[in-house]
Amino acid sequence: MTTTATQEPSGRPGPGAGSGAALAVLPGVLRAALGWTDAHRARFALPDDVLEPHTQVNGTLKPLGELAQLGSTIQRTTAPGTPEHEVAGDLVAYAWEQVREGALLLELLRAEPFAAYPYEIYAAFAGYGLRHEGFEALARPLTATRAWAHTEQHANRQLGLVNSERRVGTPTHTDAGAVLSRTWLGGLSEPWMFEGPSGYALTHTVFHLTDWGRMPDRVPEKIDGYLRTWLPAWTDGCLESGQWDLTGELLAVAASLPGPAPAGLLDAVWPVLAGVQHPTGCVPETGAPAEDPAPDPYPFIDCYHSTLVTAFAAALSLRSLRPPEQTDGPPPGRERRTA
Amino acid sequence: MDQTHASSPLAGAVHDLATEVVLALRSGDHLATVCGAAGIDEENRTGIAAARVIGADLLLPSVLYGRNPHPGDVAVLDRAVREFPPKPDAPAATAWSHWHMISTLRRMAPPPPGGAAPTAYAEPDAAWLVEAPWQAFTHQLSVLAPLAVPAAPSAVQRAAAGRTVDLARGFVRAVRRRDWLQAAGAGRWLAALGDAPATLGLDSGLDFVEQMGGHDPRVALHVRAARLMDGAGAR
Amino acid sequence: MFTTDTTATDVELDLDAALNPGEVEGIYRDSRECAYLALLAGGGALLLSPPTPRPKKG
Repeated sequence: MTTTATQEPSGRPGPGAGSGAALAVLPGVLRAALGWTDAHRARFALPDDVLEPHTQVNGTLKPLGELAQLGSTIQRTTAPGTPEHEVAGDLVAYAWEQVREGALLLELLRAEPFAAYPYEIYAAFAGYGLRHEGFEALARPLTATRAWAHTEQHANRQLGLVNSERRVGTPTHTDAGAVLSRTWLGGLSEPWMFEGPSGYALTHTVFHLTDWGRMPDRVPEKIDGYLRTWLPAWTDGCLESGQWDLTGELLAVAASLPGPAPAGLLDAVWPVLAGVQHPTGCVPETGAPAEDPAPDPYPFIDCYHSTLVTAFAAALSLRSLRPPEQTDGPPPGRERRTA
Repeated sequence: MDQTHASSPLAGAVHDLATEVVLALRSGDHLATVCGAAGIDEENRTGIAAARVIGADLLLPSVLYGRNPHPGDVAVLDRAVREFPPKPDAPAATAWSHWHMISTLRRMAPPPPGGAAPTAYAEPDAAWLVEAPWQAFTHQLSVLAPLAVPAAPSAVQRAAAGRTVDLARGFVRAVRRRDWLQAAGAGRWLAALGDAPATLGLDSGLDFVEQMGGHDPRVALHVRAARLMDGAGAR
Repeated sequence: MFTTDTTATDVELDLDAALNPGEVEGIYRDSRECAYLALLAGGGALLLSPPTPRPKKG
């Protein structure tokens, strides 16, 4: 036997089947991961040449957009007044400051008007209520085009675009259900074909479908059942092969399902991920965790994402595992139709 | 003997024997003797040990095609039961495969009047299986894949029938780990029980496992068995 | 009846292991990504530069 510790106490998890092992580690994991992010917020700062064509978007705007997206979800998932809620809110405010309250995103859109990513980054803020009128004025005619509706990209990314449109409040360019059915997850793919790339496609499908865990009820019943059945098998492999970033994303997916928390799974996996987390709060993307307790055991680019994802998944898991009366945050789930 | 797969004389003999079982399963030819084709008789200790490893699957072609087993194969299996009884402290899997060999012999080849049946052996305990985490459960079930045959009730079979979702997860895990033998054993159980989650895609999964791991005849054996049993289980 | 004792011992050791094998080590490997073939010739510059203009038909 290998010693991957995803051992569910029973093969038939049901509501309340958990051992409490996840709840025992989750508050500490969330606090530490957010603490590390807060202490390293300057590393998310945009360089002066961020708009220059030679600047790599993946090392600048992408991390900042992720800070805004995951920070805003954590803020909305945690109870007001708690340190986690405050830190997460501070981080979103910091990111908004970095994009000069949206003005920099407008400059970016003017430079690359036909790209989708400025809109996706803007939507991370807009979903939180941080908006820029000039950006939306330019985006409006662009998102009304045939070309926008026919942007060529993977189905899960297209679902992200639909979610961005929802957040900004523009009419969605296509039916989300039809896009969902074209994803690896929506096709209820044979679970034995799961690996890294399909795993990330799957997690992002759920993130976009549920607006980053805020709307669990958007997960159709069939997909909910499929995920509850196969997530334990997939997380087991991620733990054994040291794919911590994907483990965190799968945990976030598990905590974004409608109905009772998959407690057996969360209790089996969270203690392992907690063991991988460095004393300073960061989590490596992949591979053997560093033994050295000194700060910054990993390059920023190799741990910022997995650390943010860990905080995000921990906040969602706490919401999922705690009975509603114990959280002051908005209840997960019910979709409210807003114009 | 195919030396590429033979890390020991026993492993080589197991390989040869499994290959003959697969050939018999493919052809459906009940007249052939599996052991004879593999060059194993009652006087060959390594061969008898190999028969102990293959266990009741030695008679699998007869079991699945509903025919009388070849007397030579019965004799070798009977000899393996007598020659290698489990020690008192033997692991549960060893005890279970021994028990299953005896019960298969009783069912398929009752001793002639006056002939000596193998010593009775009480059905071992399976409570540990019911409690095992799904990963260890699937691994153990895969080792006990010869028990996955129609109309052969056992506590192991009942434990498996109660945990098909866990077995299916174990199948997925085994494929991800590229452990083809474990995947084939788990897939055989799922086919025998006929209760795998629909989204598993067991048929194509078994085809895949056979292509990837079929150079090991034990993998091919389990996949063949699964195909022959598919739909014949509790469905 | 059977061969030597040493062989018998070896066989029994092998047999015990064969009857109760541990799990093999998992082998993990993910698919690599191969960029769209027709784009490879353009290399990294492709994202930043327009495609070569093609002669207009008719």
